[in-house]
Amino acid sequence: MSSIWKKVKGFIPGDKLILIVALIIVVAIFTSLNGNYFSWTNFVNILVAASLIGLVAIGHTYLIIAGQNDLSPGSVAAFTGVLCATLVSMGLPFLAAVLITLLAGAVVGIFNSWMVNKIKIEAFIATLVTQFVFRGFAYILCDGRPVSITNEAYISIGATRILSIPLSVWIMLVLILVFGLVLAKTKFGRSVYAIGGNRDAARLAGLNPQRIITILFVMMGVITALGGIVFSSRMHSGQPAANVNLEFDAITAVVLGGVSFTGGVGDMVGTILGVILIQAFNTGLIMVNVPSFWQYVARGALLLFALTSDYIRKTNREKALLEASKKALAAK
Amino acid sequence: MRHSVEFKNITKYFPGVKALDNVSFRAEGGEVLAFLGENGAGKSTLLKTLNGDYQATSGEYLLDGQAVHFRNPHEAIDAGVSVIYQERQILMELSVAENIFLGRMPANKFGWIDIRKANREAEKIINDFGLPLKPQTKVKDLSIAYQQMVEIMKAYSRDNLKVICFDEPTASLSDAEIDVLFKIIGKLRDDGKVVIYVSHRMSEIRRIADKVAIFKDGRYVATVDAQSTDEQEMIRMMVGRDLGDIYDNLDRDKTIGEELLRVENLSSDYVDPVSFTLHKGEVLGFSGLVGAGRTEVMRAIIGADKVLGGKIFLEGKQIVNKSPHDAMNNGIVYVPEDRKTQGILANLDVAKNITISMLDKNSNTLGVIDTGKESEIVDRGIKNFAIKTPNAEKKIVELSGGNQQKCIVARWMATQPKVLILDEPTKGIDVGAKSEFYNMICRFAKQGLGVILISSELPEIIGLSDRIIVMGNLAVKGEVSREEATEERLLSLAMSEGGKN
Repeated sequence: MSSIWKKVKGFIPGDKLILIVALIIVVAIFTSLNGNYFSWTNFVNILVAASLIGLVAIGHTYLIIAGQNDLSPGSVAAFTGVLCATLVSMGLPFLAAVLITLLAGAVVGIFNSWMVNKIKIEAFIATLVTQFVFRGFAYILCDGRPVSITNEAYISIGATRILSIPLSVWIMLVLILVFGLVLAKTKFGRSVYAIGGNRDAARLAGLNPQRIITILFVMMGVITALGGIVFSSRMHSGQPAANVNLEFDAITAVVLGGVSFTGGVGDMVGTILGVILIQAFNTGLIMVNVPSFWQYVARGALLLFALTSDYIRKTNREKALLEASKKALAAK
Repeated sequence: MRHSVEFKNITKYFPGVKALDNVSFRAEGGEVLAFLGENGAGKSTLLKTLNGDYQATSGEYLLDGQAVHFRNPHEAIDAGVSVIYQERQILMELSVAENIFLGRMPANKFGWIDIRKANREAEKIINDFGLPLKPQTKVKDLSIAYQQMVEIMKAYSRDNLKVICFDEPTASLSDAEIDVLFKIIGKLRDDGKVVIYVSHRMSEIRRIADKVAIFKDGRYVATVDAQSTDEQEMIRMMVGRDLGDIYDNLDRDKTIGEELLRVENLSSDYVDPVSFTLHKGEVLGFSGLVGAGRTEVMRAIIGADKVLGGKIFLEGKQIVNKSPHDAMNNGIVYVPEDRKTQGILANLDVAKNITISMLDKNSNTLGVIDTGKESEIVDRGIKNFAIKTPNAEKKIVELSGGNQQKCIVARWMATQPKVLILDEPTKGIDVGAKSEFYNMICRFAKQGLGVILISSELPEIIGLSDRIIVMGNLAVKGEVSREEATEERLLSLAMSEGGKN
C-alpha cells in the first residue's frame, strides 16, 4: 500500500494529490447520499455548470499570481449577456454583436486597470466599484427585464455538443489549456510570476508591471464577456440578475488550487482541479437537497477552508525554506 | 540594585542567513556595554531577539538570573526590557506626557484619565533628566533628538526598568544633542541599569562605553575594555582580517578609455540637478552620507523615477530612459541597494532570477521561452560569478546574502551592459564574499565597462574607485581623485555646506 502511495506521490506533486483526494471524497460522500450523483450525465452537468466559473478562474489565476484581484466578473458576465442579447434583438448580426460584447469586456478591463495603475486603488476595492456599476448597467440596459434570445446561431452556442460534450465545456477546456501553456511556457507568464513575487524588483529588472496588469485586466474582461455570452445562450436570455457571487466561486476554486493571495505562486493545473472540486461540491449540495439558505453557509465554509489551506501552505513554504537554508548553511 | 542579562547560546536563522550563531555572554548593570560589528554582524538582530521582536531559533536569556522569554516587545517592556530604535516608536500627535505614559495613563476608578496627574509625573521625569521640555508639548513639535528623549523617558518611567538598549541612537543627532543623550545614558548606568549601546562610531564608543562586545558574522567574538583596548585591535577583531591587504592585492592594471557616459544637470523629484562623466574602464565612486541623494541620481539615470530635467549621453549620443527597461536596452543597468525588496524575486528559483532580464532575447515571436538558451545563461552565470548553490532550481532566498547578490549581478551581466551601477553592493555580506566582489568590480572595469560604485564604507570606496564624487543634500559637493582621497577629505566634503567646489 505504502509503496503504491509513494509511486503515486512521485508522479503527481503533493498539493495536487490532496486536491484529487478531496475530489474523490466529495464524490464519494454525495454518491452515498444520492446514487444519481455518480453518472455520466451528472458529470457532464457538473462540467457545464463549471464552465463559466472555469473561464473566470483563468483570469483570477493570472491576476492573483500577479498580486491583483477582480471582484467584478459576476456583474460583468451579467452585463455582457444582456448586452449581446440586446444587440441581437435589435437586429445586429450575431457575430457583430459578439465582437462588440467582447470589446465591451475589454473596456471594462481597461477601466479596472486604470483605477489600479493610475489612481492607485487596491484592486480589491477598485473592482468592487466595477461590480456595482456594471450590475447597474446590466439592469439599466434592459430596464430590469430579461432579454430573450431567438437568434438560432446564438442559441446553438449553448446547445451544440461535440463528442457528446457541450461546446461551453470545450471552450473552457481549450482556454484553460491555452492559457495554462502561456502561463507556464512564455515570457508573459514568467513576467506575471515576477511582478507577483516582487513588483519593484521586477520593474528594476526591466519588466513593465503596469502594462502587464493592464493586459491581465483586459484579458479577464474579454474572457468574462465570452463567458457571459455563452451563459446567456444556455439560458436563452440575457439576465441582469444572473451570476451573483460568480467571482467568489472562481476565487475559491483558484485558491483551493494552490494560487496564493500573497502572489507569485500557483499554476493552471491546480485551478482546473479547484474548479471541478468547487462545482462538484455546489452541484452535490443541490442534489442532496440542502436548503438553499444553508448552501450559502456551506459555500462560505468552503471559502474559509480554501483560505485556511492557503495559509497553511504559506506557513509550510516558509518553514521548508528556513530548514533548507539551515541545512545549506550548516554544510558550509 | 545592579541588574544583569545573560545571553546563552542564542542562535537565529533567517532564510539564507544564520544571523546569530551560538551567542553567549553576560551584560552587567552599572556599566555601558557597546556592541561593535560590521553591518550584518548580528548586533540589531540580537537586540530584537532579546525583546521578543524576533524569536530565537534556539538559546535562552537570563534576566537577573531568571530565564525569561518574550513573545513580543510588549511583554519585554512589561518585564523591564526596552529597546530604543533608530526609527521613532512614538505617536506624533500626542503630547510628551501622553507618550511617556502611553497605555498606562493615570486614571480614576471610572477609567477617566487624570491628565493633570500625568503631566505632574511627566514633569518629574523631565526634571530628573534635566531637559527643557513641557509635558503638554505635542511630540511632533520637538526636534528629532528630543523625540528620542521622550522615548527614553517612556522606558525610564517604568519602575521596573532593568535593561535599556540603544540601536545607533546618534545617527541623526547633532553634537550638542549627543552630549545630552550621553548624560542621560550616564544617569541610567549609575542607577544600575544594564545599558547596551549599538554603534559603529569608534569615537563615541570610546566616550560612553565601559566595555565593548565585538561581533563578527553573527558570532560573538569577545568583550574588551573600551578604554585600554587599541582601536586597530578592535577593528581587527570585528573584521577578522586586515581589509587593507584585500585592496592592495586587487588587479588594477588597466587603462581608462574614452568618455562613456555624460550626465548633464539631471534632476528628478528626489534630487537636484547633477552632472558628471564616466569613462570606459573606470570605477567611479559615489560617496556621501545616507540620504545624500546618490541612489536618487542613479534611479533618475535608469528611468526608475521620473526625470524633471537634464540630459544623458552614452558614447556621445543622447539617450532617454523612460523606464529601467529602456535603460537596460541602452546598456545601463543598476544593482539596487536593498537586495531583498528591490533585487531578488523571492518566489522564483536561482535560474529564473538570473534570466528575468533576458526574457525578450530568450523567447521567440510567440513569446515561448527557449529553455536551452536560458540554461546556458544560468550555467555561465553560476560559473563566472562562483555562485554557491546546489543547483539552479533552488529558491534564491535559500542562498546566502552574498550569493543572492551575485545572482543579481549575473542577471545584469547577461545583458552585456556598458555601464554597471552598483548601489552598496557589499552591504550585509561577509568579508570573504566582499573580497570576491572587489575582484569582480576590477575585472569588469578591466573589460572596459564603466562601473559606478555607491558605497557608505569609506575604505571600500577609496580602495576601489579611480575617482570619487561626493554628494550631500541631494547635490554634488565635489570630486576627488584616487590619489587625493582620504576618509577625512570625503567626510568633510560630504558635510560641507556649499555647492560644488
